[in-house]
Parts: sequence; structure tokens; C-alpha cells
Amino acid sequence: MRTISESTVMSWIRERELSFLERLTANILKAGPMPKHVAFIMDGNRRFAQKAHVQRQEGHSQGFEKLAETLRWCLNLGIHEVTVYAFSIENFKRSKEEVDGLMELARQKFSRLLTEQENLEKHGVCIRVLGDLTLLPADLQQLIAKSVVATKAHNKCFLNVCFAYTSRYEIASAVKEMAWGVEQGLIKSSDVSEVLLSECLYSSNSPNPDLLIRTSGEVRLSDFLLWQTSYSCLVFQSVLWPEYSFWNLCEAVLQYQLSYQSLQKARDLHREGQALQQMEEDRSCVAELLQHRGNGKLVDSQSRQKELLNYIASREERVRCFLNALQHKRDTFFSDLSSQAVVA
Amino acid sequence: MAILYEMAWRFLHALFYVQRALVAWFRVHIWRWKRAVVGLLLPLALGLHKPKKTGTISKRTSRRVRCGADGRTLEKLPLHLGLLITEEEIHFTDVANLVVWCMAVGISYVSVYDNQGVFRRNNSRLMEEILKQQQELLGMDSSKYSVEFMKNGTDKQEHQVLSCQSVVKVLSPDDGRLSIVQAAQQLCRDVEQKEKTLKDINVTVLDSLLRESKNIPDPDLVLKFGPVESTLGFLPWHIRLTEIISMPSHVDVSYDDLFGALKRYATCEQRLGK
Repeated sequence: MRTISESTVMSWIRERELSFLERLTANILKAGPMPKHVAFIMDGNRRFAQKAHVQRQEGHSQGFEKLAETLRWCLNLGIHEVTVYAFSIENFKRSKEEVDGLMELARQKFSRLLTEQENLEKHGVCIRVLGDLTLLPADLQQLIAKSVVATKAHNKCFLNVCFAYTSRYEIASAVKEMAWGVEQGLIKSSDVSEVLLSECLYSSNSPNPDLLIRTSGEVRLSDFLLWQTSYSCLVFQSVLWPEYSFWNLCEAVLQYQLSYQSLQKARDLHREGQALQQMEEDRSCVAELLQHRGNGKLVDSQSRQKELLNYIASREERVRCFLNALQHKRDTFFSDLSSQAVVA
Repeated sequence: MAILYEMAWRFLHALFYVQRALVAWFRVHIWRWKRAVVGLLLPLALGLHKPKKTGTISKRTSRRVRCGADGRTLEKLPLHLGLLITEEEIHFTDVANLVVWCMAVGISYVSVYDNQGVFRRNNSRLMEEILKQQQELLGMDSSKYSVEFMKNGTDKQEHQVLSCQSVVKVLSPDDGRLSIVQAAQQLCRDVEQKEKTLKDINVTVLDSLLRESKNIPDPDLVLKFGPVESTLGFLPWHIRLTEIISMPSHVDVSYDDLFGALKRYATCEQRLGK
């Protein structure tokens, strides 16, 4: 297998300033609404390799370099959160050679990351990895855990890497977490809601992406952030990922700005619906409660209202404790993993 | 300086709005012109050759035959096609046309969606339009293309398919995230009542639970109409591998527009992670 020499191993964020024209365009775009969180499906590495007559592994490597460049452009545009689809659970179906190559690439990149603590702290970069990490080789799991723990406290910009990830798995996992909460007696099954499910996803510490960009011309989501992108702007671009340019990014941001008003409206409508749904659920729980307690006696509307407010307060408290416990469970998983002795 | 940038931004956006409006105007007017020309020339052409019946009945028959034949020329047809209307003002006749064309081409499951629930609230109106357009466009032999209208909520219908029977379903945001939440609640209740353990919860279990109450097959293709670049809450769980093709507008949409999208779908390659 081809090894990549140290000198070509790139850092995660390019240190390069924009040209005059690029800066001008960035400033014009920034006069309008800008996405705060952008998600990328970095598709097209293999097709690029074919086109450039290089090995697939080189295509993936160039893809990573392009990621570093794109992160710099995002920071220049004031986009402080980026989520990328690096490796899907479905990608394990690829040839052993390719999968091993990708794992090796990940090992190199995360190892390199751990040597750049100063840089990361300077830029305040927080790295999170979303997915079923237990599917990965143990040493890679540990490298990832170390990177996550090392950058946890940084809060200027956020990079979420989806590795061994599919959206359906993430949603099922969130449901499992809520069931764990019920099993532990922290929450009741009636506390389950859309908002709570969102808080149990791997991406719970991030707002939903405003913009999702997929390169290489494919027009599907391929099991990526299906829940979180329901009201995001979707932009499909035909350029292959290793050939992505600053102008492609600006084009996507422009598309976001054109859809902005309609998306805000749709999101607001959805949020209203969510609130109504929650109110319905709360009311029905209180009615049931009063029925059990009242023994057939009618309750006046003032006491009913008081009961409702009490119920809502206790539900919110339960949920708050549960979410704290969940966060603690996740933090412990990463800190335990990162402090383990290296497993061969 | 900031004011200059803002002015430049407004100018840029104004340009885009003008371009979009012009394209929409041209599209509508060119199609109307095409339709008028065909309307004039077709009877003429038929008149010049052998005397044929040029009544509406044979026109419908030829259209129906054409749709069916077109469907068979495609490499693959979606089993479930979703029509996602993002435009605020909905033209029921145009939507009905789309549904009828889809059925004629041979698509067995067609769903109609908008994020404000307009279709759901006007379910009967849509169904009436579809039946009307079926008569109009496909002729009297509509029994061959009998449509099964899925009532929302408790449809436990499993069977669907006599060979030319199509299913039309109206969907709304409730069929998306809310259905997933309801399934999640069910699983949590099972755990609460000790009927299930955490080990019993996985993607497959969640998937089958979702299909138990509303057996909606995963859409193979979604045609999105309107300028809003988003799925607007359409079946998040089901669209994991769905091809999403954008169309400018559903207003005055033509059969050729639909068929063009179907041709594009037929040539796409799904690698499924490999």
C-alpha cells in the first residue's frame, strides 16, 4: 500500500488569505443573511482520481486537502460550524483495500491533529466525531476520542465529522437513548417529543444545518442528516469534491440567500406546530392525571390551569436531568476511550 | 464601505429575481404557444391524410397509448414518486394532471405533499380533480387505471396491486418527524412496561414500526416544484436514497416536463455506498 510522506500530510485548516476579488465577493455576500452551519457531502473523490489518472487513495487524500481549504473559506465567510460526511456505515461494503486505505488516512489526519494543539487552541477549533465509533479499529477509536477530548473546550468554530455514520442509525440511537432514560426512570414515555429526540441525536450540540451542499452531481441525501436537514437549503453541485472552489461555495451561499425567506417561514410554521403538539400532549397527560386523582369529581378551570403549569414544570425538570445524564454518559465514553492503554 | 457592499448585494439579488421571473414567463408562454400550434396543426395533419376520427376520444386514446409506451422505453421507473409542491399558491388541476400522467406512464404509487397541509385539508377536492382529469386525459377506459385513494391515518391496506392499479396518497409534515416520534413513544412505552429491552431497539425495528401504521414505501424519486431548495419536512426517514429532481413550477407543467425528469431518473446510478 502506498504510504504518504510526512511533508505532504496537511494540517486541518489551510492558512491562506483570500485574494482581493474573493474578499470583495465575500463582503458583498455577507451583506445578506449568511448560513451559520453548513453541511457537506464530499462526493466525487474516486471519479476525480479516475479523471486525473491517479490512485483512488490519492483521490481521497486530495479530498482531505480540499476539506482543509474549504474550512478556511468558511471561516472567511463567517461560517463557524461545518459538518462533513466523511465515511458512511454503507462504505464498509467497499473493497478491503479501499476501506483500509481510508482508515489509514483517518489515522494520519487525527494523529497530525493531536500534534497541532497550539494551532487548534489559537483558532478555537472544536472537533466532534459523529457515528458508531465501535465499528472502527480500536486504535482509530482512541485517536478520535483523544482529538475530541483535547478540543472539547474550544468554542470559536466547530467541525463535526460524520464517521461510521448513517442518519437512520443516528435516529434509532436517539430513540434508544430516550428508552434508556425511561428505563432509568429519568423520564416518562409521554415526555418523548420531537424536541427531545433532536436533543438525543449525535448532533445535539449543534443547531440544524442552514445549508447542505453535495458535490459530484448526485441529487440524493444518502442517509445523511435526514432529520436535521428537513428545513435546510439543499444545493446540489456537479463539481467533483477535490475540484471544489471558493466560487462554488459562494454560489451555494447565494442559493441559500435566495431561499432564505421561504425557509424561515417554513421553519416558523413548523415550530408553531411543534409547540401546539407539545401543548396538546401536556393537556392530555394532565387530563389523565386529574381523572385518576379526581375519582369522577369535576375540576374547575383554575385548578386545571395550575395543574397544567405544574406538570409542564416537572416535565421540563425531568427532561433537563435526563439530558444532563446523557451528556455525562457521552463525555465519559470519550474520556474513558482516550485514557485507555492502546489496544493492538 | 458597508453601505456599498449592501447596495451591491441588493443589486445582485435583484438581478436574480429578474432572471427567475423572466425564465418563468418564457417557460409558460413558450409552452402555451407550442400547445396552440399543435392544437392547430394536428387536426390539419390528420385531415390531409386518411380520413380518421379526430374526435376527443381517439385523441385521448392515442395520448394514453403514448404515455404507456413512453413508460416502457425507460430503463427504470420509480415505484413510488413523490410530488413535492413548495409554491404557496397551489393549482389543483395541474397537480391532478401530474398524478394522472404518472399513472398512465406506469408508476404504481404517487404521493402528493406540501408543507402547509393544504393537500391534506383539501383531500376530496384533489381526488375529484384527479378523477376529472383521468376522464379528460385518458378517456373512458379509466377502469383500467383505477385509483386507490389512501385515506389518511388508519390505512391498514397491505394489498395494492392489480396490474394497472395505482395508489395516490396525500402526505403532510405529520407523516414525517411526527410519525417517527410516535413510533419512538411506542418503543419507550414498551420499555416502560418491560415488554422490550434496549437491545430490542435498532434501525430495523424502528423501520418496521413506522411501516406498521402507514405503509409508505420509500420514494425512489421526488419531483420538487417551486423555487424553494428544500424538502420542507417531507418524509425524512424514507428519503434516505431518494433522487430529488427540482422543477421550476407546477403551474402549467407539461407532460414533457414530467417525462424529461423521468428520463433523468432512469439514467442515474445508485452505488449504495460501494
